[in-house]
Amino acid sequence: MAWDKEEEKRLRQVIKDSGVALLAENLVQGTWGNTAVRLDDDHMLVTPTGLDYVALQPEDMPIVQISDPSVWSDGKKPTSERKIHAAIMAARSEINATIHSHPVWCSVFASARVELPVMSDEMQKLVGGSARVGAYGLPGTKKLRNGTVAAMQGRNACFMANHGVFCAGRDMDEAFEIIRIMERSCKQYIEQKTLEATGQKTYSDELLFDYFKSKYGA
Amino acid sequence: MIDKKLAATMCDYAQKAVSERLCGDGDVIAMRSKGGFVKNAAPFAELTEDKLVEVKADDRSGQNALLGELFATREDINAVMITHPAYVRAVAEAKATIPAVIDDMAQIVGTTCKTSKSAEVADVIKAVKGRNSCLIAGGGALTSGRTMDEAYTCALVLDKAAHVFVCGSVVGGCKVINTLEAKLMRFVYKKKYSKTNQENISQREGD
Repeated sequence: MAWDKEEEKRLRQVIKDSGVALLAENLVQGTWGNTAVRLDDDHMLVTPTGLDYVALQPEDMPIVQISDPSVWSDGKKPTSERKIHAAIMAARSEINATIHSHPVWCSVFASARVELPVMSDEMQKLVGGSARVGAYGLPGTKKLRNGTVAAMQGRNACFMANHGVFCAGRDMDEAFEIIRIMERSCKQYIEQKTLEATGQKTYSDELLFDYFKSKYGA
Repeated sequence: MIDKKLAATMCDYAQKAVSERLCGDGDVIAMRSKGGFVKNAAPFAELTEDKLVEVKADDRSGQNALLGELFATREDINAVMITHPAYVRAVAEAKATIPAVIDDMAQIVGTTCKTSKSAEVADVIKAVKGRNSCLIAGGGALTSGRTMDEAYTCALVLDKAAHVFVCGSVVGGCKVINTLEAKLMRFVYKKKYSKTNQENISQREGD
């Protein structure tokens, strides 16, 4: 462990602040979702399991070994999804910050297992192309982890089937920008598809609801 | 006299529901009390401790019929919420069943959430039988739990599941988690948030 202690202190605060900001922007609900930042080639700070982001203190963040995420020290018990963060950090040396969450618009694509096409220049620049869906696996399994790593190849975001979204950046600010553009783009695509399905020109939630009722109504 | 901790809990969770935009007309929050149950007598946004009323266990008048019947027939239920977020209303109006479209629904709500045949008490009780939630035909989401924390979390996740289910209809439909895996997730979740955990929350919530 050979990183600067002042830098570690700063990064602990970065994780704390990112959790609060995710909550404030409705990108995470309650204690669900988790984030990580790299300390060096083989260590990262992650959020602890099941703790409220507002109550969480910088010193609560545990340090997890990237090459063997079962090894951790300091802080509180790390998130059970640390293996996915570690796998991405191990596979991608340019990635220094990761966010995993279940925001509602992204969850639509995760559930429908539909690839999100590039919706804007900003999405192309930040995500690196379309957002793919990783193979389905039960939470905490190798299948889910491997599926996420595969779907992230050449991209900075992907959906996790029936689960959520994973975003990665060179720093936390960039990872944050990526989850924001993902959520916005998903919403935009749903609205576009609603107009296509209904033949209307102006989107409204009522239009979507009427379409849904016509398709699923008893 | 309404227990102070219980009253504070109900007002706190009503506010949380407001901030999460779960609310609409006719929202209900209720908790079991020693003499029957306590429910709101004002919309969630205006709810204060003096706007809660205690209802006797055998009172089946008006809206009390559903709550009274639930608390009388379901010993596992100590807290109930009926909320009306927009996507939930769309599903309830379609009288559709929400399948396990996302894994947090499988864990917290269960493998499916049915809409009752009608808004009649008997039909709602039937739809929630063996479950912690159902949608009320043409209405909102009824969610329940051993604690208010459970009932609220269930409402939150159910709203998200409804949102996903409705929006999924324009992108080819949601892929449903298979029943066996959904049941496994539910089992693991219930085990993780064990009886002891809920008992601790229950003491905090009062009565």
